[in-house]
Amino acid sequence: MKILCVLLPHFPLSCEILRHPEFEGRPIAITLSEGSQKLVLDYSPELKGLQRDMPIQQALAMYGEIELIHADVPHYWAVFNEILDALELKSPLVEGVELGDIYIGIDGLQSIYKNNDILVSAMQESVPATFNARIGIAEGKFAAYLAALNSPQGGYKVLAGDTNTFLKNLPCDLLPISIKSRVKLHDFGLHTLSHIALMSPAKLQAQFGPEGQLIWELANGRDDTPLYPRLTEETIEESTTLDSITLSLDLILMTLESMLSKAFVRLGQKGMGISSITIWTRSWVSQYWEQNVRFKEPAMNTRTAMSRIKQFIENVPQPGPVEQLGMKITGTGRPHGKQKSLMSQVRAQEHLLEEIKQLELRVGHPLLFERKEVEPWSRIPERRYILAPSNQ
Amino acid sequence: MVKDTGKTLYTGTFKPVNAPEAVEVYESPTGLPVALKTKSKQAIVSIDGKWRIDDEWWRAEPLSRMYYAVILSSGRRVVIYKDITQRRWYRQSY
Repeated sequence: MKILCVLLPHFPLSCEILRHPEFEGRPIAITLSEGSQKLVLDYSPELKGLQRDMPIQQALAMYGEIELIHADVPHYWAVFNEILDALELKSPLVEGVELGDIYIGIDGLQSIYKNNDILVSAMQESVPATFNARIGIAEGKFAAYLAALNSPQGGYKVLAGDTNTFLKNLPCDLLPISIKSRVKLHDFGLHTLSHIALMSPAKLQAQFGPEGQLIWELANGRDDTPLYPRLTEETIEESTTLDSITLSLDLILMTLESMLSKAFVRLGQKGMGISSITIWTRSWVSQYWEQNVRFKEPAMNTRTAMSRIKQFIENVPQPGPVEQLGMKITGTGRPHGKQKSLMSQVRAQEHLLEEIKQLELRVGHPLLFERKEVEPWSRIPERRYILAPSNQ
Repeated sequence: MVKDTGKTLYTGTFKPVNAPEAVEVYESPTGLPVALKTKSKQAIVSIDGKWRIDDEWWRAEPLSRMYYAVILSSGRRVVIYKDITQRRWYRQSY
């Protein structure tokens, strides 16, 4: 499948610059809290040596005077989704894997866009120029990603025909595999894709398991990873600005309840309930709070939904006095059918074994076996275990 | 309810696990495996490892096997062994 990859380097930083133009040219690191740790999500391109997911202490040790900004991930995703929406007008097959990485299926678009220049400029129109989109076209996602990575600023790169020559000297760090496997590849002296391509797949499999096969295939320019286009979901969004800033939980819950009631009027007509909902608040100092609430079974009315939402809101306190409040219903569903237990009786296991014994007596030979150890230490493989009748 | 007739139901009903499966192997003049016949003839591109097992020497038919972990042309790794007393080849997971 022919894929067009759009890479938006330093996407979170570009979003911040779009919102606050004064950040342009300043040394900035965007941080994200993960548990008790603060990690680098993105940074100004001139800060060489910084890496994504690096602990913030390590980044500060390298550059003491950088400005730290706390990541506003929902905002980044909102901007990213807008870009994906715009790209979907050009091709129906658009996949947004991570912030800034987009894959587009372009098979069959030749009848609309006569050549690659027209196709690429149509795609570029959908992405604001601030994001410095890099575009690559190739067969398969990995090759398209590498092409985009090596494309000229403002231009694009097409990989056609024999991709192996292009892949040859690229570092193995570009492979979409775990960091542990990358380190292991370097430990084995396999620093470039050509080093890996020369290995036998069996040896890589022996060292890396199933990932070894993937490593070998990607290094040889073979990539069957399917494209997972975005699914269109109906979302219901409601938000309100409170008359006065508040810390009162009751007031927040009451406002949410009234918004939910409105949503249930629309959902109720279709016999649908809520399976997941995102609740967000913004405090008067623009601190953002967001929680995603999932329901094991779709909540079919306001009361059921509120009892679960209340638990969440009570357990995760607001960062400050709330000024704005909103909700987004991200998943809807119908009530689940209930499957009755096949083994409703107590001691079901014994009953089942008894039934099997009856059946075995009828057919005259055992039907159910279990593996038993005989000589698990034996050097002779067939002496280690046997299958013995379960009902013996 | 089926009557229990008192018949012994389970004699000789144990089943082996990982029993060796006879295969046809083409040998080189020195006795090393060069190709394996499964559905079609598949060349053996390399021998990944080999080891010998001699056991049960006190029995009438002692056990003597030469195991080879081989890589087929398709890239698959297979373990085969040659029964040295019977001079026959088998495939078995190890």
